[in-house]
This record gives sequence, C-alpha cells and structure tokens, in this order.
Amino acid sequence: MGVVILLVMAAGVAAMLTRKLPTAFALVLLALAIALVSGAPLTGENSVLDTVLQEGAGALAATMVAIVLGSWLGRLLDETGIAGTLVRKIVEFGGDRPTVVALGVLAVSALVGTVTGSAPAAMLAGIIGIPAMVAVGVPKVTAAGTVLMGIAVGVPFELPVWQFFSTALDLPVGTVRGFMVKLFPFALVAAVAYVVIENRRRGTEHAWSLKPVTARPASRRERLGDTPWYALLAPVVPLVLALGLEVAIIPSLLAGVLYALVTTTRPGEMNKRLLRTLYGGFEVAAPPLALFIAIGILLAAVKLPGAVEALEPLMKAVSPHHPVLFVAVFTLLVPLCLYRGPLNVFGLGAGIAGVLIATGIYPAVAVLGMATSYNQVFGVADPTSTQTVWSAQYAGVGPQQVMVRTLPYVWAVACGGLCVTAALYL
Amino acid sequence: MTAAHTNAPADPAAVDDIEWAVRLLAATPTHEHRDPELLRRWARAADAFGAALPPVECTARIVERDGGLERGLLARYTSRPPTVELYADTVALAEEVVDARGWRAWFPPGSVRAAALAHEAVHAHLHHGRARAALKHALGHSALRLGRLRVPGHVAGAEEVAAHAYARTVCGLGRSPLLLTAALAAEADARSHRPAPSPARDARREN
Repeated sequence: MGVVILLVMAAGVAAMLTRKLPTAFALVLLALAIALVSGAPLTGENSVLDTVLQEGAGALAATMVAIVLGSWLGRLLDETGIAGTLVRKIVEFGGDRPTVVALGVLAVSALVGTVTGSAPAAMLAGIIGIPAMVAVGVPKVTAAGTVLMGIAVGVPFELPVWQFFSTALDLPVGTVRGFMVKLFPFALVAAVAYVVIENRRRGTEHAWSLKPVTARPASRRERLGDTPWYALLAPVVPLVLALGLEVAIIPSLLAGVLYALVTTTRPGEMNKRLLRTLYGGFEVAAPPLALFIAIGILLAAVKLPGAVEALEPLMKAVSPHHPVLFVAVFTLLVPLCLYRGPLNVFGLGAGIAGVLIATGIYPAVAVLGMATSYNQVFGVADPTSTQTVWSAQYAGVGPQQVMVRTLPYVWAVACGGLCVTAALYL
Repeated sequence: MTAAHTNAPADPAAVDDIEWAVRLLAATPTHEHRDPELLRRWARAADAFGAALPPVECTARIVERDGGLERGLLARYTSRPPTVELYADTVALAEEVVDARGWRAWFPPGSVRAAALAHEAVHAHLHHGRARAALKHALGHSALRLGRLRVPGHVAGAEEVAAHAYARTVCGLGRSPLLLTAALAAEADARSHRPAPSPARDARREN
C-alpha cells in the first residue's frame, strides 16, 4: 500500500512538473487518491469527504487570513508610494556606486519580504528597483537576483509564513519564530555575499539601448511624490510587534496596515483607500489562497491513519537519522524542491513534511527546520516560482539564468539551516 | 515597452535634443513624479557637462558582433573585463535609417560606429574616473539637506545624457544620437512586429 501511495505521489509530481495540472489542482487530486488508496471511508471519521475535504480545506485558515492581510499591506505600500520612495531614496544616495544601490534594493526587498511573498513582493521592490539598478550599471541577471535574494532575507520574518508552518506542522508560533531567527543570519549573509561577489565578478554594464523614450503622461501611481520619512517605517511595524513584542501575527499585520494608512492618507480618503487596497489585496492573495486550501487538503490526507500506517515503514527505511548523514542527504536533495519538485514546501513537500511528522520519524521542529531551509531555495532559485519568473522577465533575462546565478548561494543557506536543525533537534 | 506603444512624433527631428534628453530622464525609474522643468534643468546640465568633456580615449577592448536588434542594443560597455561591444546589425540599420530619413548631413557615413565608441568610452571614463563626482556636482541635486550639511544626490539617467552629448560633440554630429535612437527604435520595432511580453503576465500564476 505504501508503495502505491508513493507511486501516486510520483504521478502527482509528474503532473506538476509537466504542467499538465496547476499545483493546487494536482495536490487536491493527490489527496483524494491517497485517501482512497489508504482505505478511508467516504463519510464519517477519518473519511474522504468529512476529514480530507471538509476539515482539510479550512485547516490553514489562519494562514489564509495572514496572507490576505500581508497582501493588503503590500497593496498599501504600493498605492501610497512607500515602496517606491524607499527605492528612489536609495538611488539618490548611492547611485554612483552600483553595489551600494544593489545593497539598498536588497534591504527594501527584505522589508517587503517580511510583509508579503511571491510575485507581489517582487513587484513591490522590483518595479522601480530592477530598472533603477540597471540604470546605475548593475547587470540585469544580478539585478533580478538581488530582488529575489532580498525577499528571501525577509522570508524568515514573513508573518504569514510563520502562521503557515505553525498550523501545518502543529507547532507553537514561538517555536517557529525561534527557528526563523536562527535561519535569518544564513539568509542575510548569503544575500549580502551575492550582491558583493556578483557585482565584483560581473562589474557594471552600460548599454546604448533602443529603448524608446516617450512623451506619454505618467500614470497616477507614477506621479506619486515621496512619502514622509516616518511612513517608510510601515513595513517594519508588524515585524517589531510580532518579533520584538511577541504580539500575535494577525494584530501585528493589522497594525502595519493602519500605520501605513494614517501616515500617508488624508482622513477623508481613508475609507476609500482602505477598501480599495483590501479588495486589491484579495486579488493578489488569490493564487496562494488556492494553494493553501489544497495544501490543507493534502495534509489531512497524509495524516489519515491508513496512510500513516502504510508509509511509516517505507519512510523509516529511507530517512537518515545520524545528524551528519541528515545534513548530507537533505543538502544533496535540495534540487528536488526546484521545478515544483517533491520537496517544494508549497506543493508535495508539505505532504511529505506531514508524513514525516505523522509517522514520528523526525520531531516536528526538525521537519520545520528542513522545510524552512528548502523554502529559502524555492523562493529564490526555482524558475517556476512566480517571483523568479516575474523578476527575470522584468529584467529582460531568463528565469534559468537567475537560477544558475543564485542557486549556489541559496543552497548554502539551506545547508546552514539543515546544520542548525541537525545540531539542535536530532 | 516598444516604440509601437509610444507617442513618437511623425517627424522625430521636430523634437529638439534637450527635449529628447528630458524624455530619456522622464522614462528612467525614480523620475516618474519629477517636475518636467527640473528634468529639463538636469538635461541641460548633463548635456553641457558631456559636451564640455575633454576627449576620452577608449582603452577598453572592442568586440563587434551581431544580435543587437534582437537584444535591443546598439552598443554595450562592461567593466569586467573593460569591453565595448558594438552590435554590427544595429549599426548597419542605423546607417540605413539615416539615409532613409535624409539625415546624412547630421550623421556622416561611419559616424554611428564612431558615436557608439565615444558614448561607451564616456561610460568607461565615468566608471573609473573622478568625472562621476563632477557630473553630480554639475547637476546640483541634493539627496539630503540638514542645515548646512548637503548630501549630493545621484540623478539616474544623467550619465546617459552626458554620454550622448559627448558623442555628438566629438564626432561632430549635427544632432544628438538620442534622435537617431528614437528613429532606430521605431524602425527596429516596425521590422520585428513582435508584441512586447508583459512582465506582469505571469505574476498571477500559482505561488
């Protein structure tokens, strides 16, 4: 039975890799197949309809609310010009030193990455940041990679991600926060190293390009002036509250939304702007919401008693327990989280994490370490992830070029995270 | 964005060189909200700075290759190793455009290649030399003022305007290469007929 479940999972991965099915649909079908193969009844306790579909779909509800609030704040940062002002100031201060500008954009991307993820995060920092870096001589691949590496620096402090791992792995938020704080230095060092090394290696580039110049009127968003300096602190507000004062995630994000609003908006316009950006936030959040519904369903399926019983002996046989072996094996397996591979934590990887915990092979906190380490790779180097595709296309290069350039750095981050996991939790 | 989406005038020569420089600055990220008069002042200052630069020798390795039209480039300078890439297909098309538009008096035969080399030589000069600080000084933009303390601000795109002005001066061109760039972009776009990929097209796929 366990082998059949693994074959079903392999078929699901193949469907995702070949893009026959969108990830969210593939995960739901996978969950249904696993539940049926495990012998789950159609209704009642531990059943296909009541447990897998009904309970699973809403299992990550807290994460979904956090995603919506993060997207709402992201929309506000965009609409009020906070993100644009941050990048403009960086270019004005450091524009004749491309490495300084790139480090500044990296910092802005990291801030944005703490608020929201995926393509919207890349767009917030990259719409002005990427062409601004290119304009001061940063090569295009380096510029696209800088935004992605920056977002990855923020990911350990992205509150919706804390909520996701807390709910999905059934761990207290404090435990997730504790590990993320340990993972952050690896992400930061790798990102700074990327900017400094790649700018030194590749130098600067200036092109006489055929990009036409126009007399078109600027859009409303483009006409936005600089926001006041205190409004620029908006992305930090949720972080200070959640990390520094240990306030719960949803109130922290709401505080960020309110701060961004009151520091940039006249009282008479607040209602309209709040509603407009909230609805815009839902639009941005739609793809991850669909994915989190599917992941919740998959997690419910792999936790069914029949599935756990079938998978336990197989997983135990192949899972390394010696700390050195653990680090070596899972570091070598890093590429399996690329191209929607089986270790992608926002895909089948979430199911595998669920199996590892449900079967008791590793403590939940060790699985957290593994999953978050892989998340650092997926978020930057996966040529199928939306932020990578968007950043590369916007810079005018291929996602694969960005993957090749950034992979060594994020692989090292994953290795660092796995070392911490093995040292502390195995 | 491609030329097909622009409001390029029917006769680009009707737009003066400083206005082309203003448009270049306005299209450069970080200037979206700037007052057009401020951009005009910066365009004039950068143009004057480039035109007044003493002759700069191009010490970088020069490589000629094709593929410029596909990449939307006429020339490119890279600092490691110092190299100027000249895209022969784009240069050839530029010469055709000059003939077709009747601009030969402004851009003599072979002047496009010479202008490209001069343009990239200035980038190399500004990259390695102190001229970069001088350009910043000439523009007079402040990133921060605290009482008597003033931090000069970088103006993105000004270096490009200066490089074009330098190329115009040392190559004895009748008009700025920015004019030629505008006409060339329109011609290249008309020949390719390729819609520009929307960078945001994939932004809403799954996570």
